[in-house]
Amino acid sequence: MQDIAGVLVNSVISAALYATMAYGLAVIYGVMRIINLAHAGLMMLGAYATFSLFTRFGLDPFLSLLVVGPLFFLFGVVLYRLVVRRLPRSGATPSMESLLLLFGVWLVLQNFAYFIWTGDTQSILTAYTMKSVAVLGVRVGVPSLFVFAGSVLSLVFLNVVLKTTYLGKAIRAVTQNRDAALLAGVDADSISAVAFGLGTAFAGVAGGMLSTLYAFTPDFGRSFLLKAFCIIVLGGMESVTGVAAGALVLAFLENGLSAWTTLPTSFQDAVSFTLLFVTLVAFPQGLPGLFARLRTAFR
Amino acid sequence: MRLLTVESLDVFYGDVQAVRNVSFTVDEGEVVTLIGANGAGKSTTLRALAGLLVPRAGRVVFDGQELAGRPANELASRGIVLVPEGRQLWPAMTVLENLRMGAYPKHARARADAILGEIFAMFPILERRVSQKAGTLSGGEQQMCAIGRGLMAQPRLLLLDEPALGLSPLLVREVFASLRAIRARGVTIVLVEQNVPHALALADRAYVLETGRVTLTGTASELLVDSRVRDGYLGYGSV
Ligand SMILES: Nc1ncnc2c1ncn2[C@@H]1O[C@H](COP(=O)(O)OP(=O)(O)O)[C@@H](O)[C@H]1O
Ligand SMILES: [Mg+2]
Repeated sequence: MQDIAGVLVNSVISAALYATMAYGLAVIYGVMRIINLAHAGLMMLGAYATFSLFTRFGLDPFLSLLVVGPLFFLFGVVLYRLVVRRLPRSGATPSMESLLLLFGVWLVLQNFAYFIWTGDTQSILTAYTMKSVAVLGVRVGVPSLFVFAGSVLSLVFLNVVLKTTYLGKAIRAVTQNRDAALLAGVDADSISAVAFGLGTAFAGVAGGMLSTLYAFTPDFGRSFLLKAFCIIVLGGMESVTGVAAGALVLAFLENGLSAWTTLPTSFQDAVSFTLLFVTLVAFPQGLPGLFARLRTAFR
Repeated sequence: MRLLTVESLDVFYGDVQAVRNVSFTVDEGEVVTLIGANGAGKSTTLRALAGLLVPRAGRVVFDGQELAGRPANELASRGIVLVPEGRQLWPAMTVLENLRMGAYPKHARARADAILGEIFAMFPILERRVSQKAGTLSGGEQQMCAIGRGLMAQPRLLLLDEPALGLSPLLVREVFASLRAIRARGVTIVLVEQNVPHALALADRAYVLETGRVTLTGTASELLVDSRVRDGYLGYGSV
């Protein structure tokens, strides 16, 4: 039985990671109006990339994020140039073609992982995996703390890029009014490539961090994609605060239910699904509401 | 010197033709206005010139180069800048961010600070609103911000689509005063405006569009006294 402080500390830590996952989706949706269903597969691939860097080269999983991030950015750009850009442009809501295509990419990534790493369950065991420290009187695993730090750094990095660079402002401009961005001289195709790269990098980094907390197989990532959807439906993506709020609510419910009820841990994934379901039913606008919120990401 | 030559332009939305065989010219330093009723094809013409629509046929020669069908971002970099109908600001960016993004083309960045100063001198209200989100501005302020954003790109050809639409008479005067100031700085302008008296008072020459076709052309002073223009477009308002 955990006390309220324990649940809160753990919620804040999970929420930062969840927000990192959700932002990866939102950058891509904002610029291209497509839902990146391959996000889950990219997170899985990020976990395996971190795993391989760890087992082959002995690279610490958190240091390897500095490799995984840029590498996945490039992978995302290539994926965009070879595959995603061929899609017809989505209108206000994602086209069926984009959903099918990216679902297909997810399947390809899964099979690629089965081929390279087999279906065996893998995990990363470092010297500090089992260590814990006290935070506000709560014992927290050292990997969880590193994940929190990595997530906060990623989110700060993204916001600095979006707010201060011409590239970041161009991403926000395309998100908020695409025609106006074109008229200002923004090359929407290059910006889409960058946005897809950023979203992919965020998936890879999130996956790399997840690999230090959970065991994984090529099927890994599905439940986390659902969590990201849930956060978007809950808090919207209008602002950092919205994402943080959505991520916190989900993380708090998950941690609270597992601490204060006899709900088995294996049911934790059902929390986000139930929450997603309830929110969608309670919000009469349903999925269009989700899309409307995604559309206003980064405003 | 001839800056823009539009020749036999045809623009379609799917199967529907909105602009038919439209031709006109604009000289360097000139203000040319396109007038016509709602749905005549004025916005479509400007959107095609700015590269947001690809013309099905016709030529657009800008500064000696054939540019029809080039993408909007390339045309913006070459100095063709459209201030679109309905402002089209980035609502969740601040006024300053909107203006600074106007200077996105590489050639415009070096002098961005100086131009920004001139814009604030022209529209002092914008300087007081710099950190406000553009979506929260009043209609008049949004229009000034949109014009300012267009100027930040240091246009060689400024295309203005109904800059006075939906503004109070007082603000209409203010916007036209700013257009006069812009013109005085030697910027070439193509102006689309429903407020025909104001437009003709500003312009050197005018073209009248009806259902996608140019039906009448002349100097602004000729058209001001033309009976067809008087009956069709000068029935309201005064200069
Ligand atoms: N996005 C669009 N899709 C289809 N038809 C359009 C679209 N925009 C304008 N039109 C049609 O094209 C014609 C010209 O419109 P427009 O250029 O906007 O006229 P104006 O700016 O002179 O009022 C009109 O008949 C209008 O209905
Ligand atoms: Mg119009």
